[in-house]
Amino acid sequence: MTQAFVRQYAFYYDSSVCSGCKTCQGACKDKHDLPLDVLWRRVYEVTGGTWKKDGGLWVPGVFAYNLSMACHHCRKPICGEGCPTKAITKRDDGIVLIETLACIGCRYCEWACPYGAIQFDVERRIASKCDYCYDEVGAGRPPACVAACPMRALDFGDFEDLKKKYGGTSEVFPLPEASVTEPALLIKPHRDAGRASKDTAEVANWEEI
Amino acid sequence: MPGPSEREWSLIAFTLLSQTAVGAFWTVAAAFLMTDRRQGFLENRVFTIPFLASVLALLGLAAAVSLAHLGRPGRAPSALFNLRRSWLSREIFFELAVIALVLILAILRYRGRETAPSFRTLVLAAGAAGLLFLHSMSRLYMLRTVPAWRGLHTPLSFLATALLLGPLGVLAGRRVLFDFPGSLHAFQSAAVLASLAAVLLVILTVLFFTPRAGIFGAKTETLRDLPAPRIYPLLSFRLLYLGAALLFIFLFQRNQNSGYILLAFVCAGVSEGLGRYLFYALYGRIGV
Repeated sequence: MTQAFVRQYAFYYDSSVCSGCKTCQGACKDKHDLPLDVLWRRVYEVTGGTWKKDGGLWVPGVFAYNLSMACHHCRKPICGEGCPTKAITKRDDGIVLIETLACIGCRYCEWACPYGAIQFDVERRIASKCDYCYDEVGAGRPPACVAACPMRALDFGDFEDLKKKYGGTSEVFPLPEASVTEPALLIKPHRDAGRASKDTAEVANWEEI
Repeated sequence: MPGPSEREWSLIAFTLLSQTAVGAFWTVAAAFLMTDRRQGFLENRVFTIPFLASVLALLGLAAAVSLAHLGRPGRAPSALFNLRRSWLSREIFFELAVIALVLILAILRYRGRETAPSFRTLVLAAGAAGLLFLHSMSRLYMLRTVPAWRGLHTPLSFLATALLLGPLGVLAGRRVLFDFPGSLHAFQSAAVLASLAAVLLVILTVLFFTPRAGIFGAKTETLRDLPAPRIYPLLSFRLLYLGAALLFIFLFQRNQNSGYILLAFVCAGVSEGLGRYLFYALYGRIGV
């Protein structure tokens, strides 16, 4: 990819093939040497449905799928809108970064982000989040999470290029409407994702993310 | 969803202290403006040094405890860098503006310059800065990703807190804060403001409990799932009613026993503290 033509870096994620192994999560944590309780990429396990009685037989109607989420480097980054120190900036290539020396740790960005992307770093007492591995990307290599995925469920690149290549959506349960922040995210939904918004579904692993 | 704001004690203290200070200032400012017109400028001594010092102390304490919320309090001055877009920057700006204006008023009063026309202008400016301070404070919580905070109840409850605790504080501390005897407009305006606020808060709590009450996002289902002990809302509402009752008993007493108003202030303060705790406990954003 020629970086000069990138107007908005984005992630593509294929939820239909993701096994939920969390290698992406671990690779990110390792690459950035993140402290305990800070996950720049998190894998949400969405579960729902129920068992239904069909005559004398109980039939399973349950489902589960994974969502691997990082910062989506939104085109309307709500995290940066309220930042009192202008510590959150958006580069020309779309990557949203937190300037660590400017952050005062007010956590206002953390309140606002509907993707849980902003993680408060208790050791450094400032907000932190995925930086799209801009050093790797700048050197022509993929972000750590993309490189590590054994299922090739993750890809990266310019939003428009990814859209042409894969299509996809950014509105999968339990994510918010795309109009809120316009995330640079394309997801191929799991086959049961449509049911999740209708049936009773929830994130099952809050304790670990 | 694990919220980041389960125990925002410093923000609870900051919002309550600063709203009380602004409400108290408005109370005495209203009395000042009424006295000014009715009794002539020279007679006006309603802005006493102890009162202005108390307002400054409350605002200073509020600012100090708010620093505990920051990860890097040493960098706090840079929070003023985004006045163009950030309500948090504006909140801090207007807080500093109120402090500066009240400080100037205190200096003028100390030097016996309270009769100068600029004093009246400064009182109006400080009152307006206080309003903008509270407005910024409520707007910063009204995030479009946090439905529980986005409603009309956020500015209304912040305003009602200022109009309840401020005047009650003025009434409760009147013997210490003011150096003149007799019935004063300060106390009359305090009584009127506190009564209106108490009535407003009682209406708000009734609407809060009413299912499908339209303008309020909170429904009875929300209360059932409240991430806080269930006694908190009940205790908060009952203490508010008790405080309101004590206020009205005080107002209709012939000799106006200070014990009632002190107890009313304590009840209202604890009620508002619990209410503010619940406000932060109700944090929940859309998405994940």
